Amino acid sequence: MVHHQDTMFRSADMSMVQLYIANEIGREIVNALGELGQIQFRDLNSDVTAFQRTFTQEIRRLDNVERQLRYFHTQMEKAGIPLRKIDLDVDTLAAPSASEIDELADRSQALEQRVASLNDSYETLKKREVELTEWRCVLREAGGFFDRAHGNVEEIRLSNDNDDAPLLQDVEQHGHGQNGDAERSFSVMNIGFVAGVIPRERVAAFERILWRTLRGNLYMNQSEIPEPLVDPTNNEEVSKNVFVIFAHGKEIIAKIRKISESLGADLYSVDENSDLRRDQIHEVNTRLGDLGNVLRNTKTTLDAELTQIAQSLAAWMVIIKKEKAVYQTLNLFSYDHARKTLIAEAWCPTNSLPVIKSTLHDVNNRAGLSVPSIINEIRTNKTPPTYQKTNKFTEGFQTIINAYGTAKYQEVNPGLPTIVTFPFLFAVMFGDLGHGFLMVCAAAAMIYWEKKLKKVRDELFSMAFYGRYIMLMMGIFSMYTGLIYNDVFSKSLSIFPSAWEWTPESDWKEGATVNATLTSSYRYPVGLDWMWHDTENDLLFSNSYKMKLSILMGWCHMTYSLCLSYINARHFKTPIDIWGVFVPGMIFFQAIFGYLVFTIVYKWSIDWNAIKEPAPGLLNMLIYMFLSPGKVEERLYAGQGPIQVFLVLIAIVQVPILLFLKPFYLRWEHNRARAKGYRGIGETSRVSALDGDDDDSNTLDGRQSLASDSEGVAMITQDIGDEEHEEFEFSEVMIHQVIHTIEFCLNCVSHTASYLRLWALSLAHQQLSVVLWTMTLANGFSATGPIGVVLVVVTFAGWFFLTIAVLVVMEGTSAMLHSLRLHWVEAMSKHFMGDGIPFEPFSFRQMLEEDESAAQIT
Amino acid sequence: MANGWSIIIGLVVVLLACGAAWFFSPKGETQTIWRSSLILSFASCYIMWAITFLAQWHPLIVPRRNDLRAGAIHES
Repeated sequence: MVHHQDTMFRSADMSMVQLYIANEIGREIVNALGELGQIQFRDLNSDVTAFQRTFTQEIRRLDNVERQLRYFHTQMEKAGIPLRKIDLDVDTLAAPSASEIDELADRSQALEQRVASLNDSYETLKKREVELTEWRCVLREAGGFFDRAHGNVEEIRLSNDNDDAPLLQDVEQHGHGQNGDAERSFSVMNIGFVAGVIPRERVAAFERILWRTLRGNLYMNQSEIPEPLVDPTNNEEVSKNVFVIFAHGKEIIAKIRKISESLGADLYSVDENSDLRRDQIHEVNTRLGDLGNVLRNTKTTLDAELTQIAQSLAAWMVIIKKEKAVYQTLNLFSYDHARKTLIAEAWCPTNSLPVIKSTLHDVNNRAGLSVPSIINEIRTNKTPPTYQKTNKFTEGFQTIINAYGTAKYQEVNPGLPTIVTFPFLFAVMFGDLGHGFLMVCAAAAMIYWEKKLKKVRDELFSMAFYGRYIMLMMGIFSMYTGLIYNDVFSKSLSIFPSAWEWTPESDWKEGATVNATLTSSYRYPVGLDWMWHDTENDLLFSNSYKMKLSILMGWCHMTYSLCLSYINARHFKTPIDIWGVFVPGMIFFQAIFGYLVFTIVYKWSIDWNAIKEPAPGLLNMLIYMFLSPGKVEERLYAGQGPIQVFLVLIAIVQVPILLFLKPFYLRWEHNRARAKGYRGIGETSRVSALDGDDDDSNTLDGRQSLASDSEGVAMITQDIGDEEHEEFEFSEVMIHQVIHTIEFCLNCVSHTASYLRLWALSLAHQQLSVVLWTMTLANGFSATGPIGVVLVVVTFAGWFFLTIAVLVVMEGTSAMLHSLRLHWVEAMSKHFMGDGIPFEPFSFRQMLEEDESAAQIT
Repeated sequence: MANGWSIIIGLVVVLLACGAAWFFSPKGETQTIWRSSLILSFASCYIMWAITFLAQWHPLIVPRRNDLRAGAIHES
C-alpha cells in the first residue's frame, strides 16, 4: 500500500500496530520509542488496578529516588547553591542501562543519608550555639542586675513584705550609691532567683501572669538583647529579652520556673558570685569558639557535598523521570508468560512505521538477541486519533483550532487556511501601517532571539512568545491594510497624485467650504485617496466603504469555509452530504448574500452621475426583496424584479430540501440494506471473537497463524464489544437535520451581520489613534521656541507609550479576540465536525515539557 | 494610469502570482503550507485592494472641507 505524504491539509494517516517484544529488552525498546515520540500505546490492562500491575515495584522505587533528588534540590535552595541546568535541546542523555539506574538509586540513597546526617548534626550544633549565646547574654546582663540588686536587698524585702509597694521601683534612681552592703548574700536572706531569656513579644504576658499568680511577691529585672537570635529549626530571627527574677522562698521560685518554661522561656544557671560568673563567661566564650569551628567545618562539608550533587542533579532528575515513564508505559503492555514476550498495541502515524521498525531492529541488534521484535500493522474499525503534524511556524495557528476542538480523523484541517485568514481578518480591524510596523518589529525580535527567549518563564511573555509567528503575520497584514486604509499613526501618505482637485467657487475666501472634483478618469491606484483625509465628510465615505468591505470579506470567508464541507463530503464518500447539505446550503446562501455582494459591486461599477439616475439604497432593496417580492422602488438594473423573485423562490425551495433529503435518503438506504439481509454488527448475538470464528476481519489481518496464541488474539479483540457502532434511528437523524437547517438558515443572516465587526473595530481603531494624536503630539507641535522643543519631547514620549500600550497591545488583543470569534463561530460552523480524539504519543520530550518540576532544572 | 481596467489587470497579475506560488513553492513537507498561504494571501490582498479601488471608482460624494488656506488649494 502506497502512502502519500502527510500534509497539514488533513491529519496524518494512522495505523494500529501490534508489537511483540522479548521481555529482556522491553525496557530498552520503550526507551528508544520514547525518544522517538511517534507512538501512542493503548492500555491493555484497563481492568487491572494501578497497584496490581507488573512494574509497580519499580515505579515505587523510582518514586523514592525522585523524592531523594527533590530533597537535594530543596537543600540546595536552602543553602543557596545554584543548580547546573541542562538544555534538553543540546544535551542528549544516552539511555541508561538497568545497572546504571540501580547504581544511581544506591548512590542517591547513600547521598541522602549523608546529607541528612550532616544536616542533623549541623542543626544540633546550631541549636547548641544559640543556647550558648543566650547563656552568655544572660550572664552578661544578669551581672548588672546582681550588682544593682545587692544594693537594694532591703527594698526587695520591703516590697515583698508590703503589698502596696510598687513592684518595679525605678532601679536607676537607687542605682549604684549603696554598694556598701553588697557583700551580703541573697541566700542569707532566703531570696532565690531565676534567670533566662524569653521572646520579646511574650514579655508583657509573662509579667502579668507572674504578677497575678505570685500576688506581687517578686522582683523582676529585664533587658533587651540588642541583636536578634536565629532559631535553627526554621531559620527565623527572634528578638529576645534577658530576665532575672528575684523571689522569696523555694516554692515561689519553683513556681516561677514552671511558669517561665511553659511560656517558652529558656532558663540558664547563673552564679551569684561575680568571680564565678566571670569564670562562667570565660568558659562559655571558649565553648562558643570551639563550636563555631565545628559548625564551619560541618557547613563546608555539607556545601561541598551539595555543590557536587548540583553538578549532575538535573541530569539524574531527567533520567529518573524518563525511567519512570518507561515503566508506566510497560505497565500498559500485556505479558505472555508462555513465550516470555511483551505484547503492546499502539497507534502511530503510518509514515513513521519505517522509522519505528528500524528503531526496533537497532535495539534488538544491540542487545544481540536471537528472538526478533515483531511489529504488525493490524486492521481495526476503531477511530484513529487525529495527529496534526506542526512545525514552529504552524504550531500557534494549529493551537487556535485545537483550542476549539479536535478535528475528526482526516477531515479538512481549518488550521491551514487559518495561517492567512486569521491574521488577515485581524489586520482588517487593526489596519495601520505604523502600528503594524511596531508589531512586526516586536515579532521579528522574538523570532531573532528565539533561542534565548525560549528560556524566559514569565506567563504573559511566554504567551506572546508562543504566538510570535501569528504576531508576525498579523503585523505584515496590518501594514498592508494600513496602506490600503492610508493610515500611518492616523496620518495619511501621499505616494501617488490624488484623483481629486479642490475647486473653490469664484467668491471663495478662507473659511468657506470647498468641494473637490475628479480631474479625469484617473483613480488613486493603491488604497484610499489621501484627499479624503481630514475632510468634513471623510467618515461618511469611509464608513460606507468599510461596511461594504466587511460584508464582502465575510461573504468570501464564509463561502470558502462552506466549500471545505464539500471537500469533506468527497473525502468521506458521503455523496448525500453534498446533495443534501452542501448544495442546497450553498444555493440558499448565494441566492441571498451572494446576490447582495453582486449588487454592491454592481452599484460601484456604475457611474450614477453620468447616467443621471439616483443610486438606489441597497439596504432597502434587500429588505423589500423579501417583504414585497417583485416590486422595485429604486431601480438598480433592468429586469431586477423578476430576478429577485426567482432568487427568493430558489432560496425558499432549498429549505425543504435541506430538511428532508438527507434523513429520507439515509432511511431508504438503511431499509434497502436490511431488505437484502444485512444486519448491524450489534444486532445479532455474535460469536465470541476469542473463538476465532469471527471472520469480520476487523481484527486479524491475515494473521491466522497466530490465532493459537489465544492471549494475543484476545488482546486485539477484547474491546470490540464497545466499538462505536451506531444504530440507525430515523427520528434522531431527522431531529439533527431540523436543527442543522434552522441553524444554517438563521446563521446565514446573523453571521453575515457578524462580519460588520470588521468595520466597527477598524473605525474605532482609526478614531482612537486620531484622538491620541490630537491630544498629545498635536499639542507638542503647536508650541514654538524652546518650550516647543521640550514639549515635543515630552508629548512624543506620552504619545509613543500610549500608542504601544493602548493602540497596539490593548486594541491588538481586542481585534485578535474578534478575529478568533470569526474563525471559531462564523467560519468553522460551516464545515468543522470536530469529534476527533487527539493523538498523544509517548514522548520523553513532551513529557519533560509538561512536567512542572522539570521546568525548574532546564 | 489607473482606471477601470486596473481591476482586470490586477486580477491577471494576482492569478499569475498564484500560479507561480503553486509551481515554485519549495518541495517537501511544507509545500502545502507554502502553496495555501501564498495563494490565500494574494487572493485576500487582491480582494481588499479591489474593493477599495471599486469604492472610489464612481464616488457618489466628494471630499469637502472648510479649513483650507488659500495656498493649500492649488498645491494639491
